[in-house]
Amino acid sequence: MTIAPKVQITPPEKWVELYGDYLYGFAMSRLRDPDAASDCVQDTFLAGIKALERFDGSRDIKFWLRGIMRNKIVDQIRKSIKENKVDIDSEDEALLESFWFRFSGIATTNPEPWQFNPRKHYDNSEFWIVFRECIDSVKDPARQAFILRVLEDMSTEEVCKIMEITPNYLWVLLHRAREQLKVLLEAKWTGSDAD
Amino acid sequence: MFTCKQVSRILHNEDYAKLSPLKRFFLNLHIKLCIVCGKFNKQVIEGQDMCCNYKKHEEAGLSHQTGMDPARKEALKKLLSEQSSDSDPRGT
Repeated sequence: MTIAPKVQITPPEKWVELYGDYLYGFAMSRLRDPDAASDCVQDTFLAGIKALERFDGSRDIKFWLRGIMRNKIVDQIRKSIKENKVDIDSEDEALLESFWFRFSGIATTNPEPWQFNPRKHYDNSEFWIVFRECIDSVKDPARQAFILRVLEDMSTEEVCKIMEITPNYLWVLLHRAREQLKVLLEAKWTGSDAD
Repeated sequence: MFTCKQVSRILHNEDYAKLSPLKRFFLNLHIKLCIVCGKFNKQVIEGQDMCCNYKKHEEAGLSHQTGMDPARKEALKKLLSEQSSDSDPRGT
């Protein structure tokens, strides 16, 4: 027997108008490809229709659909990693073998300080638009690791399984992502690339 | 008291903000006093804080600049109408 949901829900015919751009924005920030992002939105909506009977109304349907999209994004990234296996380069290997990493789990005792205080700009929505653009410019596989571990909040174990890497190498990739983000943000927000 | 390696490992696996107050206290104490990992791990925590704030903006849809292609939107609307009427248990 089919049980209809007990809560008032937005009919799927209205989803594109109400949530299409919101979900597309998420998909674009993760996949960087308009076609892949549109496919991801479509797959999310179709999966949402199929799973609608299980929607309990405990949260906004927008966030429920976003939860479904998370799995679609992870599937896309997994597919992309299967096509382009993550290889450890010599620089990363050297970092893993370095004294500081083995002794204390860090890359350096004296990292470059920030050229500006990002915290002062947290209330400025322009800053987050620039931040998002910077994430787009981080190179794979560091970007993929950053998206899965940080933005999609997956555990170290889950990310290592998807990327077929060790926890130590994931640490290196996340370090690379943070390092690149810092350089990109400094250039785009205050440096030579700033408007 | 944590060692540098323990501090780095904790921050690798969890967000500082999600740790228990006691763990945060000892971790913070180590970072403030440690000349080896203090500066590096302080930046890791600041990075986590920045990403956490970005996610809040993202969740609210404030950082998305681009919208879906209008033609693709129309096609998707049509598809969803068909699919939702097919799967409507009440047949409406």
